[in-house]
Amino acid sequence: MRDLLVFSGSSNKGLAERICRCLGVEEGEVSLSKFSNGETSVTMVDSVREKDVYIVQSGSGHVNDNFIEMLIMISACKMASAKRVTAVLPLFPYSRQPDVPYNRKGAPLVSKTKSSYTYDSVPSTPRPSSRNFYSASDVQKLDLNQPRQSGANVSNLVLSPAPLSPAKSPFFKSRVTSDAPADKGYHPTALPTNASSPGLKGSDVNSLVGYKQWIAQSGTLVANLLTTAGADHIITMDLHDPQFQGFFDIPVDNLYSKPLLQHYIANYIPNYQKAVIVSPDAGGAKRATSVADALEMEFALIHKERRQKLTSDTVPSSNSGTPSNGPYSYFHSNLSTASLSGGTSSPMLHGGSLSKEKIVATTMLVGDVEDKVCIIVDDLVDTSYTITRAAKLLKAQGAKYVYAIVTHGVFSGDALRRIRSSGIDKLVTTDSVPQEDLVAELGDMVEVLDVSRIFAEAIRRINNGESVSMLFDHGW
Amino acid sequence: MSVQKSPNQIKLLSGNSHLELTGLIAGKLGIPISKVSAFQYTNQETAVIIGESVRDEDVYIVQTGTGVDNINDYVMELLIMIHACKAASARRITVVMPCFPYARQDKKDKSRAPITAKLIANLLTTAGCHHLVTMDLHASQIQGFFKIPVDNLYAEPNVLKYIRESIDYRNAIIVSPDAGGAKRVAAIADKLDTSFALIHKERARANEISRMVLVGDVTDKTCILIDDMADTCGTLCKASDILLDNGANEVIAIVTHGIFSSDAIEKINKSSLKKIICTNSLPLSSKAEVCGRLETIDISGTLAEAIRRQHYGESVSYLFNNVPM
Repeated sequence: MRDLLVFSGSSNKGLAERICRCLGVEEGEVSLSKFSNGETSVTMVDSVREKDVYIVQSGSGHVNDNFIEMLIMISACKMASAKRVTAVLPLFPYSRQPDVPYNRKGAPLVSKTKSSYTYDSVPSTPRPSSRNFYSASDVQKLDLNQPRQSGANVSNLVLSPAPLSPAKSPFFKSRVTSDAPADKGYHPTALPTNASSPGLKGSDVNSLVGYKQWIAQSGTLVANLLTTAGADHIITMDLHDPQFQGFFDIPVDNLYSKPLLQHYIANYIPNYQKAVIVSPDAGGAKRATSVADALEMEFALIHKERRQKLTSDTVPSSNSGTPSNGPYSYFHSNLSTASLSGGTSSPMLHGGSLSKEKIVATTMLVGDVEDKVCIIVDDLVDTSYTITRAAKLLKAQGAKYVYAIVTHGVFSGDALRRIRSSGIDKLVTTDSVPQEDLVAELGDMVEVLDVSRIFAEAIRRINNGESVSMLFDHGW
Repeated sequence: MSVQKSPNQIKLLSGNSHLELTGLIAGKLGIPISKVSAFQYTNQETAVIIGESVRDEDVYIVQTGTGVDNINDYVMELLIMIHACKAASARRITVVMPCFPYARQDKKDKSRAPITAKLIANLLTTAGCHHLVTMDLHASQIQGFFKIPVDNLYAEPNVLKYIRESIDYRNAIIVSPDAGGAKRVAAIADKLDTSFALIHKERARANEISRMVLVGDVTDKTCILIDDMADTCGTLCKASDILLDNGANEVIAIVTHGIFSSDAIEKINKSSLKKIICTNSLPLSSKAEVCGRLETIDISGTLAEAIRRQHYGESVSYLFNNVPM
């Protein structure tokens, strides 16, 4: 290999090693550590002068640490006169940014861990576990005796401690604050949940807040930061939004795992021609249909709708969806109690059922899956909320066996336990994110596909100045 | 002819690194902290919620470089907040960073080492920061890494005020724990009209010291060790021992940035230092709990005044020599 050097960040050393093995090169030596104050320390041990440098780092684990580490590595290589620095990001960090706090397919906020999951488990309605906003005087009242646990967990900064009462339930809060103007003597204990969840609590929220809250989109920022650090080229895989490529002013090669997934389906799923490809949400329909088309398989789609409003009398008492014979089947779930079957909601949450209007989530399956093997195809699984829900619906509709095939398995929060107790019979993912924990936790239920050959071939072709487009169709 | 811009307001935003300081600044400015906050998803990506309009406003984001486990989280949080304000059409975005992260990685000290301070400077500019307010930069040359204006404030006036009010400085000698800080120490000694001494150290590796030599006479004096930051505190504790060995009465340390990483607090508790005083540029409340010798100087007044002057287009240089009321 001409002047080729592959370095690995600390997020996915295994993948970098396999890429190097495929390329037949030694992995470049780099010393990565932290100073005593937590700052990341990077020194490139091998000379990179006039070399074609590839740095492999996934957007997994401690994302910000890994991302800053990558920026520092790129900058170090640039400053040490590397000819070209290519950032290889198998899973692109910040590639999925929900635009409202609780997008139905967005990653929910940090929520409390539940002790156990059952087949019927559905995540509770997400809300910030923590502070939202403080006024000056409130901050001085902060309980500072408690040590910080992590950057995310700011909930230990308790504001004006008061005994927990029913009035502190988020559903009562919204009514309390709607009586008093929010901006007058701004009181954080009254605010946190209701104002930040416009999508979920319906009309009374919109009338409550003057300014519609929004979540900042960091896509362009991440792209610009990589360019600023000195990256000349980006290689990534299955970008969640293909538009992301347009955020960069440098070339981006977006590789596809599709050939790899198709290969798995065609060779490892018995009678795959009779199976059904399922997209767990409308957003992934295009991706799933392309797989179905290529393999000439049937296709089904799950669609969620949260617009319907019913009064409390009309909510079905038992809403564990009864299988129907038609191609359209509905699942009703009461969002206010955040429980699909309503079996285990806590007393505090029952406060929600007092309200007259409810938003009801309707999960709809388009297509016939009865007595069939279903293959759920998705690009990224984070909290696994979407696919476990989809699997449950499929099983309820008479599916024989449910495969879930996903490119990037992040599995944050309680995803692993949730998957284990869900209707998914087999989970197939790739090593774009290190999956040792997943295999340890789920054992035989999991199949991890190796993407290192795709990346190695892309690196080899880019290094040689050959076309990469052949990879898009054939994989390797 | 220049277009008269409509008058706008100060919007004070807080990152999660030092809410207490933002609260103090907000109190001094008499304004509330804006409803913009950052949190993390379960996949550990950071997200920022904008809860009020910052369109055409003068935005100040307070974030300091701290946290052994999450210093990078705070950097990303800051970058995303800046970017969010830029997307929300803020007129000007100023970052108030009392302690600049990665300030010690400011030179290529060995082959293929990164100049991370420069990288951070570039990242801030890329995100959309127009102005930086910081304090006691480890090397003032870091200002040159920026293409945007940087106000490097000094904690010195606050430190002088503290010395004058709390220490019998007529019988004191100001000591620099390393050669690099000699200039800073000499300036303080001049202003107090006291003598000064210097300790020279030979470093084997970063965060480790091998040998120290004292230059100057400290016999029967109160020694005031002054430095810009205290990290592992190895230097300060050793310096204190050496000063006492050379006949000093007692040793007090004053530092601007009290990082106190790893077992620094334990070291101080066991050391011969009588007191260690640092500014609240970093959150220290939890550390002051376990260390009775730790005292803080409040610098929120200086930062608040810098923000106010900056907003109204007044000169900031007054703050280089004076403590605001």
